[in-house]
Amino acid sequence: MVTRRVLEVPGVLAVSSVLVFLLPQLTGTDTARAALRARSAESTPDAATVARVTHEFGLDRSLPEQYLSWLGHALTGDFGLSFTTRTAVGPQVLRATSVSLTLVVLALVLAAGISVPAGVYAAAHRGRLFDKLVSAASVLGVAVPEFILGPGLVLVFSVTLGLLPTTGWRTPSDAVLPTLSLTAFPAALVAQLTRAEMLDALGRPYIVVARAKGLGEQHILWRHAARTALTSVLALSSVFFAGLLGVAVIAEVIFAIPGLGRLLYDAVLAQDLPMTQAGLLAVITLALLARVTADLLQLVLNPQAREAQR
Amino acid sequence: MNPPSRALGVLATVLCLFAVLTGCAGKQDSTSGSPVPDGRLTVAVEFGPKAGFAIDTDDAFVLTELGVVETLVRADPNGRAVPGLAVSWQRIDPLTWRFQLRPGVSFHDGTPLTPDSVVTALRYVNSVAAPPRAIKGVGWRLSSPNTAILAPSAYHPNSPPSPIRSGTGPFVLTDIQATQSATVARWDRYWGPRPALATVQARFIPDPMARATALRAGDVDLTQGIPDTALPELAAVSQIKIVTYSLPRTVSLYTNLTSPLLADPRVRQAIELAIDRPALAAQVLGGSATAASDVFGAGVPWGNPATPPGADPGAATRLLAQAGYGPGKPLTLRLWTYPARAELPTLTTAVQAMLKTAGIEANIRVAEYNTVESDVLAGRYDLFLLSRSYLTDIPDAAGFLSSDYTCAGSYNLNRYCSPAFDTLVGSLSQTAYPTQRRQIFRAAAQRLNQDIVGVPLVHSEARVAMRHVTGFVPDPQEHYLLTPQLARTG
Repeated sequence: MVTRRVLEVPGVLAVSSVLVFLLPQLTGTDTARAALRARSAESTPDAATVARVTHEFGLDRSLPEQYLSWLGHALTGDFGLSFTTRTAVGPQVLRATSVSLTLVVLALVLAAGISVPAGVYAAAHRGRLFDKLVSAASVLGVAVPEFILGPGLVLVFSVTLGLLPTTGWRTPSDAVLPTLSLTAFPAALVAQLTRAEMLDALGRPYIVVARAKGLGEQHILWRHAARTALTSVLALSSVFFAGLLGVAVIAEVIFAIPGLGRLLYDAVLAQDLPMTQAGLLAVITLALLARVTADLLQLVLNPQAREAQR
Repeated sequence: MNPPSRALGVLATVLCLFAVLTGCAGKQDSTSGSPVPDGRLTVAVEFGPKAGFAIDTDDAFVLTELGVVETLVRADPNGRAVPGLAVSWQRIDPLTWRFQLRPGVSFHDGTPLTPDSVVTALRYVNSVAAPPRAIKGVGWRLSSPNTAILAPSAYHPNSPPSPIRSGTGPFVLTDIQATQSATVARWDRYWGPRPALATVQARFIPDPMARATALRAGDVDLTQGIPDTALPELAAVSQIKIVTYSLPRTVSLYTNLTSPLLADPRVRQAIELAIDRPALAAQVLGGSATAASDVFGAGVPWGNPATPPGADPGAATRLLAQAGYGPGKPLTLRLWTYPARAELPTLTTAVQAMLKTAGIEANIRVAEYNTVESDVLAGRYDLFLLSRSYLTDIPDAAGFLSSDYTCAGSYNLNRYCSPAFDTLVGSLSQTAYPTQRRQIFRAAAQRLNQDIVGVPLVHSEARVAMRHVTGFVPDPQEHYLLTPQLARTG
């Protein structure tokens, strides 16, 4: 399965590259006008300038010619110059990707760090106060969206307590509030999933056998049951990863973070085609890599998956 | 609602919730005092650099705002041309001007300002693939930030000019953190008054509520572009001072004169009579704008400060009846706008309701400007509600009148064509005297009113909020923010 997933990556990327390249045609965008508008917000270009820019960008060539030229450059990491910044797109997308990756990975790690132990413990103490608290917190975490939680955190920790900065991405303290606002939703779902998977695992025959062998309850809980439950959590995490990259745009707007979501949002609004194309390909590549990584981790954790792979 | 509108709807919801949530607490602060020598300031700037501070783009406006670069000629807050890097100028013949450069000016790299450095700078901006507005058409607009003079060391053959340590302004650009922030430090060899501030960090925060919250939390000391929704909680903080001033920007209802429905002036007059402009300014926008009598407002010396009359739906209905419209033959119009400026969809809804009282149905379309521009330029609308600045580069409206209202205008959204009006605007090329030019601007605005070319609705205002700051000078053109007078108070 993993081999098939790995082999799928180039094919999916190739199809994506065609769709991404055809964005102006699919959306009816006049690339030359978009480029000129990005350079001067409130002026309207004359026909001669539009014609000059059309030639400058090679838009007067056939579509296949344009695609092959674009792909050739893209394969070397050269996505051209941004219409708005007029600087190389590649480094900007790379920088924004690293910011978003940091934010999303921090959120996922924090979510897993909190919710997996909470889900495991809640399942082990089913029906008790802690279990009820975890369930209530999970419902709250799913119900409160990032655009309410983010400003709420700012209100408490920045405006009222003055402990953390309101916006920016300069120091580690800048990452605290956006990470927390992104953590709540995956943490809530992972806690619920872990709890459900644990309840299922704890009723399985191998757990009964382990108990019969006299293994300690903590050992059974963490080394056997939790390990099985984690495989489902991992599968969900790969989906979350791509989703969080999209959701991060809300945190990036609220906290003025120069991440990939914000970059893409601005690029789409400004019709900055090279930036949009490079940003979309970055998101698609990251999502594919996340899926393959999750599959590999499943192989490591789940003996059944390893067996199926053989 | 189409996808971009939905996205903006979500964003608007985010911002409203942000406003509501952050509006629940107010932090009272200590008192202010006299200016502190060598103070440090953090300011939240509305529009950040988009093109790596390229001087031939709108990023040049960020550089003048930060006090980094200067032009040969400046525009004072009243829109008058005053000496900048040039102390005087003289027209030798219609194609030749002589400028006397200010003595004792040093670039931030230590080299002196010379005629050659001015030539290098202006030649560069004229040589780029898409030259800026300031040097298009007849004459160069030398108070435009795009014509700022950088040191010769800033210009390299294969890269855009670098603004770092190459300006002449009161502040030296010392550090740029991409689109996040920039740091400037006092230029001790500045030719003018010694800047009161030692260093300033400018943070580029595009979201208005985030800027307001940053000021409340004490992350920044001064912020531009305060939204209406943030006013109550900012006003509740005793040490926060809010400065409001008129902008040279008007929200108008553009009327497509080539639409068969609007060709009859009685229909356009009926639309004008149906709209209660004072109510739009006072009630719909909560007093954050002033009602517009014509296209030029109080932001410029030739503007018309008079308040327009309120609506007269009865008169509007009678005019429509004369034009052949009534209950049996209702008038239905396509009313478009875009959501990039938060007030536009709100105003559009209010205008729709006002038109309805006169029996005019308006079908609203709200879409990202970029996605509808081709339809807009092709005139596929009847009414288009647009916010337009009439002094983008310089304190002179010739460019605006020419592009927006002449027969050959490149942005003539009213699709208005009047030889008499073109002659009037054309006469601007015959006079360089500000007084005469202003008379022509006034006459042009009156002519547009007589011909009912669009309906100017409201004039926009700007708000800057600050704490522990003194010496702020409102600049209607928003060219200058960090000035030598700006200081931190104790």
